[in-house]
Amino acid sequence: MTTTICGRCKSSGAVTDHQGRQDGAVVWTILRCPTCNFSWRDSEPARAIDPAVRSADFAVDAGDLQRYPKILQQ
Amino acid sequence: MNDLPNRARSISSLRDFLELLEDSGQAITWSDPVMPEPGVRNIAVAASRDANGAPAIVFDNITGYPGKRLAVGVHGSWDNIALLLGRPKGTTIRELFFEIAGRWGDQEAQISFVPEAQAPVHECRIEQDINLYDVLPVYRINEYDGGFYIGKASVASRDPLDPDNFGKQNVGIYRLQIQGPDSFTLMTIPSHDMGRQIMAAEREGVLLKIAVMLGNHPGLAVFAATPIGYEESEYSYASAMMGAPIRLTKSGNGIDILADSEIVIEAELQLGERELEGPFGEFPGSYSGVRKAPIFKVTAVSHRRDPIFENIYIGRGWTEHDTLIGLHTSAPIYAQLRQSFPEVTAVNALYQHGLTGIISVKNRMAGFAKTVALRALSTPHGVMYLKNLIMVDADVDPFDLNQVMWALSTRTRADDIIVLPNMPAVPIDPSAVVPGKGHRLIIDATSYLPPDPVGEAHLVTPPTGDEIDALSKRIREMQLGALS
Repeated sequence: MTTTICGRCKSSGAVTDHQGRQDGAVVWTILRCPTCNFSWRDSEPARAIDPAVRSADFAVDAGDLQRYPKILQQ
Repeated sequence: MNDLPNRARSISSLRDFLELLEDSGQAITWSDPVMPEPGVRNIAVAASRDANGAPAIVFDNITGYPGKRLAVGVHGSWDNIALLLGRPKGTTIRELFFEIAGRWGDQEAQISFVPEAQAPVHECRIEQDINLYDVLPVYRINEYDGGFYIGKASVASRDPLDPDNFGKQNVGIYRLQIQGPDSFTLMTIPSHDMGRQIMAAEREGVLLKIAVMLGNHPGLAVFAATPIGYEESEYSYASAMMGAPIRLTKSGNGIDILADSEIVIEAELQLGERELEGPFGEFPGSYSGVRKAPIFKVTAVSHRRDPIFENIYIGRGWTEHDTLIGLHTSAPIYAQLRQSFPEVTAVNALYQHGLTGIISVKNRMAGFAKTVALRALSTPHGVMYLKNLIMVDADVDPFDLNQVMWALSTRTRADDIIVLPNMPAVPIDPSAVVPGKGHRLIIDATSYLPPDPVGEAHLVTPPTGDEIDALSKRIREMQLGALS
């Protein structure tokens, strides 16, 4: 099932970037979260993409994106 | 296959190399249906368990990517590296090391230029409605990666402040995360050539164009990852090290690229912009953090007809990353050390890009190996990467860990250890106190010279040589014969 809730930061509004087809039928969809940039395929195992079961160690805090450092500063 | 050296020198593309590998039983085609996740990862990991003999795997039936081809593990075993160097399967790592070290500085570069219209890489061209997902059968390399990564891209660029200088063109391997249909982030650090170029372009407000080459001459993938001087051309270096010509052409955005690559993505840096990137399962076997990285906009894509997307499995070792860069991390350190200390007899920096290195040396005087270790830390690669150094005598093969453990067990005293605190460290070393800063360890496992009062023990000298080799072979044959 395709959901537009991000498995990583739980924001809504994911956009569809691509659909894979096999014999004319859509077999999976690649989505991207505009908040945290997580990209995923809706056919992936739940532990990688389902916010209900995905490891919290790899969550991104959508409310505090400032905490992530910027590389190559002058 | 007596013509292996000539055959290796005649390779000009990934396709040529895959053909050579296939003829040698070192490439297989995976035609059963496979899901991008977790199928491709599972198969790549299973193959990389065999560091000595794993074949390259070409997938041609990935679900949702009909007609597309993906290659992994092209440099995924020592046998594949041996064939690239014109040596037979079964060549030892030590022999491969000396094959590389012997080529250092020995050959002339042979560079030729092919008109764009005749370059295979430009057979197909996309300039409108670019969607990288239409071209590349991507998959999540490790399960908590932040997105779909291109892990084996050779990125070519010109110095933005000296764009006409051939030598200052940079070719390096950087990880790229696809950020929507026509954008990607590139991860680098200020000390890498690409990091320098991005910072220079942003400081001066000038355009930085790059060409991302995928599915390349297998020699470039090896040598573009080798730390050489900023003003040395990686193309010239790769050609010299292969002892073979390299064919270049121009990308649509004016950068010198390999004429026979499978795919080239042309892109422009978005000055000053940063996007969230990562995590990515990196070579120390742990995930990088999430950071804001420079972003590039794709302006065009060229590719051969029916292109092969080449990617890599990288993560907790042993992986293709280790066989791809291990020897070519070790050989420059060896060459640079020998300029000061010809007593150095071999360098093994295979482990996690040299986070641990083993150096064999003929001790000139008591404590000499420690001096050599300190010199190793000041080589270009040593500055950031050589974290743990084990020094052994010349009678120990640093590529044979059983011998190294013997030296550690019998020749190391607890006070033969030096800890250098608060040194530079590669930011993704998970043991660093803070990213970019950590401690160094030198273990002197060499024997004792005067004025040390102990001296060398009376060593057992097991028989070696042709007679023992022949006996070993006969035992093996008898063992195999017992099965038939």
